[in-house]
Amino acid sequence: MMQGFAFVAVSVLLIVLLLLGTRSKKDKGLASATMRNRERLGSEGVLQPAELAHRIFSPKDREFIGLTHSPRLQRLYQDDRRNVALHWVRRTSREVSAIMLRHRLNSRYSQNVNVAAEAKLFGLYLELRFLCGVLVFLIQLFGPHALVDLASYTSELYEQVGRAMRDATAASNVASSEDAVP
Amino acid sequence: MLFRDISMNNPPYLLTMRNAFEDLQRRTLSHIPCDFARLIYLASMRDYNTAIYHHEGLAARYGQEQTREALQTSHREIFCKLVFLPLEGLVTELETYVRASHEAQDDFIHAWQELEPYRVAVPMEADATMVQLFLSNVRLALEVLRFRREQEQSQAGQPVSSLPLSPAR
Repeated sequence: MMQGFAFVAVSVLLIVLLLLGTRSKKDKGLASATMRNRERLGSEGVLQPAELAHRIFSPKDREFIGLTHSPRLQRLYQDDRRNVALHWVRRTSREVSAIMLRHRLNSRYSQNVNVAAEAKLFGLYLELRFLCGVLVFLIQLFGPHALVDLASYTSELYEQVGRAMRDATAASNVASSEDAVP
Repeated sequence: MLFRDISMNNPPYLLTMRNAFEDLQRRTLSHIPCDFARLIYLASMRDYNTAIYHHEGLAARYGQEQTREALQTSHREIFCKLVFLPLEGLVTELETYVRASHEAQDDFIHAWQELEPYRVAVPMEADATMVQLFLSNVRLALEVLRFRREQEQSQAGQPVSSLPLSPAR
């Protein structure tokens, strides 16, 4: 029983490491691309999904709570932060599913579907859903703080999928309208 | 989106709103001792029933709509700032706010843990995960303050305050 569990855990970790290893340099620039929402009036407080993931999963708060040496506070903190982290992962997973559904409905009516782009998109979607599943499992097992890199990567991938689906939908719409011109 | 679409293609509107925003920062918010107090102040400018912001002085100078947008923008901005603040910083913010309120610290902590009035300080349409994180952090910050109070009282040889555990627990 224990050997089976260990095998599954090691397999999951290897897959996660493999996925992180395949991360391209281009992906690393995605965090800076999230600055797109910065608006007028010099507003600094615009939502940054990657930053939010980093904020939730960062171990800094745990270190601060640890300094109190209060088991009650530490327990409260662990429970609360685990719930917030799970909320973030489940929401990310739900949102990407909704985006994918919309994209599928749009593609159904398009006559110019780029098969290669669609396949790549579907691959990204599957990777993201898989990562969300792994994150839920690992958060429940170890808590969120060991997973800051994986969560940041998931967040960036989420943005990448969202952008790619928007672009693919726009491209197929343009192609369809060009075909419709006599 | 920090601003509504109405302002996007209307430079005079945007300019007036910017002036209202800067006026609010300069004349009002800069005199409030901490961001947490600013958040509570801005939330108090919002009608409980309609969630519409009101500020008579600013509205007389810049117009109702521009004033609302300026208040809403400031509210969201300070909320985001507090969400991204490390827990240690939030505890300091809350401590400053408690001190500025001139209430007895034990009573304050007790009331806030029981009633959770900070829930109404969340801006409309705030990101759901950010709201969760904010509420969780304020709960924890209150627990930290309470823990420190208990430590102080036990070191001073006073009977430890009999605050009940927070209801969420």
